[in-house]
Amino acid sequence: MARIGVFICHCGSNIAGTVDIPRVVAEAQKLPMVVHAEDNEYTCSEVGQRSLREAIQEHRLNRVVIGACSPRMHENTFRNTVASAGLNPYLLEMANLREHASWVHGDQREAATVKAIDLIRAAVAKVARAQPLFARQIGVTKRALVIGGGIAGIQCALDIANAGFEVVLVERTPSIGGRMAQLDKTFPTLDCSACILTPKMVEVGQHPRIRLLTYAEVKEVRGFVGNFEADILQKARHVDHDKCLGCGICWQKCPARAPSEFDMGVGQRTAIYIPFAQAVPGKPVIDREHCRYQQYLEWQRAGAEGKKPPECRICEKLCPVGAIDWEQRDEMITEEFGAIVVATGYKTFDHSVYGEYGGGRYPDVITSLQLERLMSASGPTLGEVTRPSDGQPPKTVVFISCVGSRDDSVGRPYCSKVCCMYLAKQSIMLKEHDPEVQSYIFYIDIRAGGKNYEEFVRRAQEEAGTVYIRGRVSKTYPEKGKLIVWGEDSLMGRPVQIAADLVVLATGIEPSEGAIELAQTLHISYDVHSFLVEAHPKLRPVETMTDGVFLAGTAMGPMDIPDSVAQGSAAAAKVCGLLSKDTLALEPMVANVNAVKCVGCLLCQQVCPFKAIDTETLRDGRIVVRINEGLCKGCGLCVSACRPGAMNLRGFSNEQLLAQVKALTR
Amino acid sequence: MDLSQAIRDKARELLETGAVKCVIGYETGTDGINARPAFIYEAAEVDRLIFDETCGHNLATYLLHHRAENIAVVVKPCDSRAINLLHGEHQIERDKVYIIGVVCPGVVGRQWGVKGRQLLPACQACTDRNPVVYDYLVGEPVAEGAPAPAPPLPEVEDLERMPPEERCQFWRREFERCIRCYACRQACPGCQCTECFVERLEPEWVGIRIDAPQNWMWHTIRAFHLAGRCIECQACRRACPVDIRLDLLNHKLAWEVAQLFNFRPGMTAEALFPLATFVRDEKLGVGEWASS
Repeated sequence: MARIGVFICHCGSNIAGTVDIPRVVAEAQKLPMVVHAEDNEYTCSEVGQRSLREAIQEHRLNRVVIGACSPRMHENTFRNTVASAGLNPYLLEMANLREHASWVHGDQREAATVKAIDLIRAAVAKVARAQPLFARQIGVTKRALVIGGGIAGIQCALDIANAGFEVVLVERTPSIGGRMAQLDKTFPTLDCSACILTPKMVEVGQHPRIRLLTYAEVKEVRGFVGNFEADILQKARHVDHDKCLGCGICWQKCPARAPSEFDMGVGQRTAIYIPFAQAVPGKPVIDREHCRYQQYLEWQRAGAEGKKPPECRICEKLCPVGAIDWEQRDEMITEEFGAIVVATGYKTFDHSVYGEYGGGRYPDVITSLQLERLMSASGPTLGEVTRPSDGQPPKTVVFISCVGSRDDSVGRPYCSKVCCMYLAKQSIMLKEHDPEVQSYIFYIDIRAGGKNYEEFVRRAQEEAGTVYIRGRVSKTYPEKGKLIVWGEDSLMGRPVQIAADLVVLATGIEPSEGAIELAQTLHISYDVHSFLVEAHPKLRPVETMTDGVFLAGTAMGPMDIPDSVAQGSAAAAKVCGLLSKDTLALEPMVANVNAVKCVGCLLCQQVCPFKAIDTETLRDGRIVVRINEGLCKGCGLCVSACRPGAMNLRGFSNEQLLAQVKALTR
Repeated sequence: MDLSQAIRDKARELLETGAVKCVIGYETGTDGINARPAFIYEAAEVDRLIFDETCGHNLATYLLHHRAENIAVVVKPCDSRAINLLHGEHQIERDKVYIIGVVCPGVVGRQWGVKGRQLLPACQACTDRNPVVYDYLVGEPVAEGAPAPAPPLPEVEDLERMPPEERCQFWRREFERCIRCYACRQACPGCQCTECFVERLEPEWVGIRIDAPQNWMWHTIRAFHLAGRCIECQACRRACPVDIRLDLLNHKLAWEVAQLFNFRPGMTAEALFPLATFVRDEKLGVGEWASS
């Protein structure tokens, strides 16, 4: 027999100022199974909590109703109080007399009081049918998976590994380093980007607790917080990295050429290659598409018609250690992890939708990332900026900002955040390379919020003599070896025409290829622009709504290097906090299945947003569902979808909810 | 070739080779005119099998009771959609079922000892003549355009036009007759629950008393459980001993689902149920007719 105690909180005057508390207490005492009712000034205070504990013991209460504020506020407080008096913490029900009665009916004392009584009656009906619940403990796999080897992923992996946990860092391209490795200098300090990045890359490569999987992709993730299982596809490199010494003879002698992805197409690489000189690992991969031997094999497979292509295999002949392995195949690696960090980074906007800028049509219209490669001392031109068309050094350079940023008409309404700063940087660097260069920047607004950023833009204007023109460009066309840029100076209210040698498009930031597929397998959300979404924009910036999955860097939205590094470290701190626990307590208010009633139609599996429903085959061959309590969030969708009524939600069972509704509609 | 003979030949072959344990088909009933379901276990018995316009039963429902064995079943186009439904809801294993599909001329209303002449209204409006899934087809497939939604039955349109009170009266008169024998449920391929909500005591959705409000509750909840799933085989209508117009109720919901989601259940086994999914580009009430 339930013995229910009802405790009504005044919440100072928050509730007592509107609701007639003595009347609510008197009415509560008349409810079935209620053996005690009292009111307190502040039930959450030390005095109030003591009174609650004493009443539980004195009246041998086995269920408690507290009429106070929202359960979001103090349910945990009171669960602990009730538990300390020896009751199961889930035999507590809160009636929200503040947000649901006194605050919303502030000027109607009678109505608020009647509603408060109704809410108490419903809570009593619900708690009378409550069952004690017990949190299940699960173990934690003390290993982290970091997806993406850019600066955010590198920082995150290093921080986790230095805290003593094992890390697997998965990178899709043949080397870690990401976008930061492609940059020449960083704003606003003009540090050499590679110089500050490569030590970290080397540290990752040599760290005893970091296992680096480059040229690999995460294909599928199963499981839940503390107990993930990931399928990682290791693509065939055709080079045995255990044997390879990274001597470089193969890529020096390889006769096949392909546009370099790392150099954004302004340079070339060989078919067996490392993306850049400081790559980690400094061992090559063979690009099957461009390799001559692979093309020869393809020709053989296709029926060997026409002219016989060269068989090549020069790398194999020259390799001093016999590391070339033509038999290597793609391989699926399955590993277990306790936590996952997604740091998949960005790609740049495809500028071809802006026909008026001439990108893709005229060779001397390039993107800012291509200019970055041209300026880099390790780039295809060894740091000498030249025009792609004729190899001459440009003297007049026009930059166009917001290409794929702040433009609703191309579906990119957001600001890419870094472009204003890198344009200032590039104009300064061009001036340093060649004092005769004159830069013009067409801009909408200058966004320079950040430490020393505004000063840096000033420096571009004052020291490098960069001319900032507020306005958009309407047309670009070639004439007599120059590119004529038509634009508008909206501050002066007049058209501008500049004869430029080089036009640079500040292409905006968008999420990497495959970010959505990854988000779907991880069951984390993404926004309309496919950026991953954090659990709370202010207070949980690197967490997701899926426990144990964290975010870092530009996968989440545009940000610069310091922000990405800070997020990498922040995500690492969250991962370490999780992995430092030996067990995790699972929330017991989750769905459960009555296997006798389940007909195995699997409708619940379709509606479950958390992939929390598995199937099992019973001994009689029937297939029924089983709840994965680690994944279930207790949303209740499966309960409402279940036709045979086999699903129920612990703590919110059908019986409890219907009793509550019945009490309210009495 | 004669449809009946084609079915017999196939059934004989399946039973003789041991491919299936039983063939579920139709035979002539005790009145000598109307067909009834037949369960043929021996090759020698296959000559009992027939197919004509009195073969109304949806035999796919019987698969629910024969899950362990390899079974062959004779299906009309609407029944074949029931097979997709059962397959999609994991109630049958497709490789255990051998489907003998029949190109359907439509079936007639049934009366004891009387040969029906008039096709059922639903059959008159029906545009699906070929089964959507089969292992062996009996009859010449009829050339069909892309599957299109049949217009709503005229009777449903009449009901829609009634003022609410009048419509309420109509359904009250229908449901008052119900004796809650649950024959509609037993005949329905969509009713697979081991414990039906009507028999549940906690919570007690439907009271045990047989009266209009309780009957009303029973038929309404059942209709909602079938919304987006009912393949309109008319089995419930046919099974009802007091002739309640369940076909109109189910047709209304099926029509709503078809209009909102461009969805007809059972056209493929892999289809996601519109009421259980959310598609990002889902536009309510707009778009091309799609079979999945």
